[in-house]
Amino acid sequence: MMNLHNLPPSAILIFGALLLPLMPKQLRNLWCVVLPAAAFVWVWQVPLGHEFAISFLDFQLELVRVDRLSKAFGYIFTLNATIGLIYAFYVKRWAHHAAALIYIGSSLGVVFAGDLITLYFYWEAMAVFSTFLILFRGLEGSKKAYGAALRYVLVHVAGGLLLVMGLCICYQKNGGDLTFSAELFKDPHLGSWLVLVGFLVNAAAWPLSAWLPDAYPEATVTGGVILSAYTSKTAVYTLLRGFPGYEILIPLGCIMAMYGIIYALLENDMRRILAYSIVNQVGFMVVAAGIGSEWAINGAVAHAFCHIIYKALLWMSAGAVLYMTGKSRCTDLGGLYRYMPWTMVFGTIGALAISAVPGTSGFTSKSLTIHAAEQAHLFWPWLVLEVASAGVFLHAGIKFPYFVFFAKVKDWTLEKADIGEPPWCMRIGMALMAFLCIFLGVYPEPMYAILPYQDVFQTDPYQVFTAGHLVSQFQLLMFSGLVFFLMLPMLRRTNTIAIDTDWLYRRIVPMFYRFTDWSLNGINRWTAALVVDRLIPRLNHFFARGPYRVWVRVNMPFARLNRSMGEVEEFSARRFFYRQAMLGILPIGVTAFLAVVGLLILFFA
Amino acid sequence: MSEETREQETVATPPAAPKHGGFDPGLIRKLWIALGVACALPVIAELFVDRHHGHGEHFPVDWGFGFYAVLGFLACAGSILLAKGLGLFLKKNEDYYDHDEPS
Amino acid sequence: MDIVQQAPILMILCPFLGAFAVSLAGLIQRRWCYPLTVLFTAGSAYAGLGTLIQVLRTEGGVIRYRMGGWEPPFGIEFRLDALNAAIALMVVVVALLVAIYSRQTVASETAGKEGHFYTLFLLLTVGVLGISMTGDAFNLYVFLEISSLSSYALIAMGRGRAAFSCFNYIIMGTIGASFYLLGVGYLYIKTGSLNMTDIARILQEHGLYSSNSVRIGFLFILIGVWIKMAFVPLHRWLPNAYTFAPSTTSCLVAPLMTKVSIYVMIRIMFSVFNPEFVFGVGPRSDLVVWLAVIAMMVGSFYALAKNKLKMMLAYLVIAEVGYMVGGAWLANATGLTGAIFHILADGLMTLALFLAAGAIYYKRKSYNIVATKGLFGKMPFTMGAFAIAALSMIGIPPTCGFFSKWYLISGGIEAGHWGFVVGLLTSSMVNAVLFFRILERAYFEKPELPYEPGRQGKNALNFVERKGVDEAPLTMLAPLWAASLGLVLLGVYSGVVIDFISRYVNSVGFQ
Repeated sequence: MMNLHNLPPSAILIFGALLLPLMPKQLRNLWCVVLPAAAFVWVWQVPLGHEFAISFLDFQLELVRVDRLSKAFGYIFTLNATIGLIYAFYVKRWAHHAAALIYIGSSLGVVFAGDLITLYFYWEAMAVFSTFLILFRGLEGSKKAYGAALRYVLVHVAGGLLLVMGLCICYQKNGGDLTFSAELFKDPHLGSWLVLVGFLVNAAAWPLSAWLPDAYPEATVTGGVILSAYTSKTAVYTLLRGFPGYEILIPLGCIMAMYGIIYALLENDMRRILAYSIVNQVGFMVVAAGIGSEWAINGAVAHAFCHIIYKALLWMSAGAVLYMTGKSRCTDLGGLYRYMPWTMVFGTIGALAISAVPGTSGFTSKSLTIHAAEQAHLFWPWLVLEVASAGVFLHAGIKFPYFVFFAKVKDWTLEKADIGEPPWCMRIGMALMAFLCIFLGVYPEPMYAILPYQDVFQTDPYQVFTAGHLVSQFQLLMFSGLVFFLMLPMLRRTNTIAIDTDWLYRRIVPMFYRFTDWSLNGINRWTAALVVDRLIPRLNHFFARGPYRVWVRVNMPFARLNRSMGEVEEFSARRFFYRQAMLGILPIGVTAFLAVVGLLILFFA
Repeated sequence: MSEETREQETVATPPAAPKHGGFDPGLIRKLWIALGVACALPVIAELFVDRHHGHGEHFPVDWGFGFYAVLGFLACAGSILLAKGLGLFLKKNEDYYDHDEPS
Repeated sequence: MDIVQQAPILMILCPFLGAFAVSLAGLIQRRWCYPLTVLFTAGSAYAGLGTLIQVLRTEGGVIRYRMGGWEPPFGIEFRLDALNAAIALMVVVVALLVAIYSRQTVASETAGKEGHFYTLFLLLTVGVLGISMTGDAFNLYVFLEISSLSSYALIAMGRGRAAFSCFNYIIMGTIGASFYLLGVGYLYIKTGSLNMTDIARILQEHGLYSSNSVRIGFLFILIGVWIKMAFVPLHRWLPNAYTFAPSTTSCLVAPLMTKVSIYVMIRIMFSVFNPEFVFGVGPRSDLVVWLAVIAMMVGSFYALAKNKLKMMLAYLVIAEVGYMVGGAWLANATGLTGAIFHILADGLMTLALFLAAGAIYYKRKSYNIVATKGLFGKMPFTMGAFAIAALSMIGIPPTCGFFSKWYLISGGIEAGHWGFVVGLLTSSMVNAVLFFRILERAYFEKPELPYEPGRQGKNALNFVERKGVDEAPLTMLAPLWAASLGLVLLGVYSGVVIDFISRYVNSVGFQ
């Protein structure tokens, strides 16, 4: 009996996805929920420390490497997938489900991969299959989706190229051992920097972050929910695994956190706001990875765990609004509290969670990261994180629900007669997520139990729910809220976008393209006209006809000698010689002639 | 003559957006009061709580009473102002990129 | 008696017996000809694989198969070493692929004559295989004539000017073969032996290299082989013969005949004679290389001017011959390695290109280059394979064309023959222009017919323009893609193949 623990969870999802087209329609969506649930069970059951490797060509590929870090991510990935696919129950397109499952499976593959080569394969698979989640929106009618999908896949392929370059260099330097751990990157060299950059692309680190807010809002409703979790958190996992304590990550994460807030404040599309919010939150995790202490890693993992849940909840509620209204811009929305009360409630719970309101999972997880920063005596990062926490409440905690659900009184039935709550599957999905947000906010112990470093809870006991902490947090949050409403007129939504670093490749590249087109194609056309169309045929004509004319010229005098010719006779004689040359003499005769002459030349040369 | 101008005026100006988005002003006032109370409560609560000024031992800065309130206020106000400032450069029309899209 | 040891003879017996079988079948039931041909060529290919494996495994890397157990120099032997084992395999694989491909084209272009066609097809295969495997100089002439006669008949089955072009080809081909025979005759007179290894030994032992007769004999063989391979300026027969032949014939003949003649040249130059003789007493090698450069230029530039696809490809064959002859005459190991590798590479490339051209003709009913417009939309698979072959012609990695050009250029630099290097590069550039023009037309323009459909009379074409993808049939696509993928595989595994070829090149003993 094959040891089921050797079956990578990615295989469960990927092969299960491949079975989808063969299944009867009614069972497909159910199968999609069963698969990640099965994977969850696998993660739950697999013993810590289990490893499974196969050898392929010259390499040892560690397909399964289980430790606390990968298990924690495994849990949340599979849990999120299960609930997300419950939410997605309404989707009819099986290819969409298949792409999502393969994408999720690949991210599980990355998390459980023990060596960089396995990781790389799964990494690329993630990039490719996640693109479909954006492409399918194009099939549903969005024109922008195609461009967004193209840019998305190009950025990820570029990142993958950097990753593989770094991988090759590391391979050389390390004598062929590519076991993925911090050991590999201990001494920074070109290879490790390239790998880091490759990972940071997926983590949406500034300035390589513009792809995320560009692509995610253009995805399908479910696509956005699923995309929000995996690419960025897988990248966080790789940073925690490979680069803990790399100091450059601290300022980088701080920049990401602030950048997310600023742009989220500028944006109009609700899903773009949420996308920038992802960057902001991942920034926290990147800072934690940079700190690298045991508390920091715990904090990052806890944050990732809870973030996936509340971020998925936010995207679910945004998706529900998009699904029911067909609109996603804040200027078009508002006043939905009356028509979609449950969605509003769930969305608000998500918003509160992301803001780390005490009683929600955000509070119990983010506090760990901030505590880690204090522990490490890093003042400025700590300050930036606190500022960013305030800012989170601003842009995601209040701005998002306010502009989407409140802001004005609007009779939606005039625009959409069937406005109402989204389908039951969406509501159940949101309800489950909201439940988890609150559950883990009130009773975080199960989450703490799966964190990588359990000893720190003994050696440095940290209480989340101290009165002092609660008071400080409420002060922070309430005054942020106050600022929001005081400065509300300044925050009026406009039909604009904020340009991001992708301006570089979206504007410059087309300019470059137009210039090369003009210059090179111009030269091409000119040369074609001159050389190909005129010169070559003339030469061809010359060489083809020339010899015949020579033959005619040689023979005509002799013909004329024979008898005097009138014009007609002369013409027919010419023609006779011409044809003689063309048909018989020249190909054969000249060849024979040249053969003999060549023989003589070569003999005497 | 004045009737025409008045007509022009009424025709030319669009209807003003409803104040507070159409919500009942009474409701709005009650919400503001609630917000004020919500802000005051934690500040008052701090009087009764020992905020384990652990920050003092870690960090050189801890401005004592109401630190977090002030931090939250300044942070958010600063963020919004910074966003507005950057928005002057960064905000562009929605279809800024559209004519560059690959066909 | 190990059946594996019989592989060389099986390789030739299969098509030989197949020719008989098919000619009978052609009388009884024409429909059997195609399956029988495929069957026998497949058997031959299988034996070819066995032969190659044998060569790889044998100590010393040479297998000799004696006909009827008679010892040379009286008996005839098949001698397979690193030089010709791969070439022989290539010959049978090409034959197999063209046989599979030929189903629809033979039926449409030479209807009613399938029996004759396939018999000649198999006989041609026999002839070319024999040339590539035999170790006896006269036996080579016999096989040369078998293959030539079959090819004359196959070409003459074409349309329009085929008969006339074939007539030219017959005359010139016979001149070539006769020169070869004369050369062998001279060698026989001087050495008393017809076996190649034996001749080499006797020439060595008796110090006959300075003899004028031997020298003349060598030159006769050389010129004869040059005529057969269409080396400039003796190339005039090739373009017309290949263009007007039926599609299947061109596909079979173009990759094989010229390449095998080049093999004969190399074999005579380096196995019968040796580098000291050829480059010392023989004709001036840099003259020959300059001729090769002219061949490249003539081939490439004329190809640029032609507006018939097959004519263009025929001129490209002439250019490729220039590469190979030049490479062999550079007088260094790198150049020779490049030339030999290019035999294999060019065989596949030419095959792929002619297969594609045949498929295009079959679907679009026109040889004009204008017919390739917009073809990426209508025949994506055909054009895809054509594109890969085009990349190989230009010399872009990882196709094999890149690696052979690499070696040829290195050999040219090593020999200090800059003309050759420049010529090779210019030719590659012209090839690039040529193919990119076609590919651009095929991709960006709308499909167009160079004639009016529904033309009546004896040239009525029964052509119906279908909407959307109208791809060639699978029996045509499969060999085409096999050839194109083979180009890539040959490129990726070029290291292995070059190692194999080097066994021979090292044994030649360049200084």
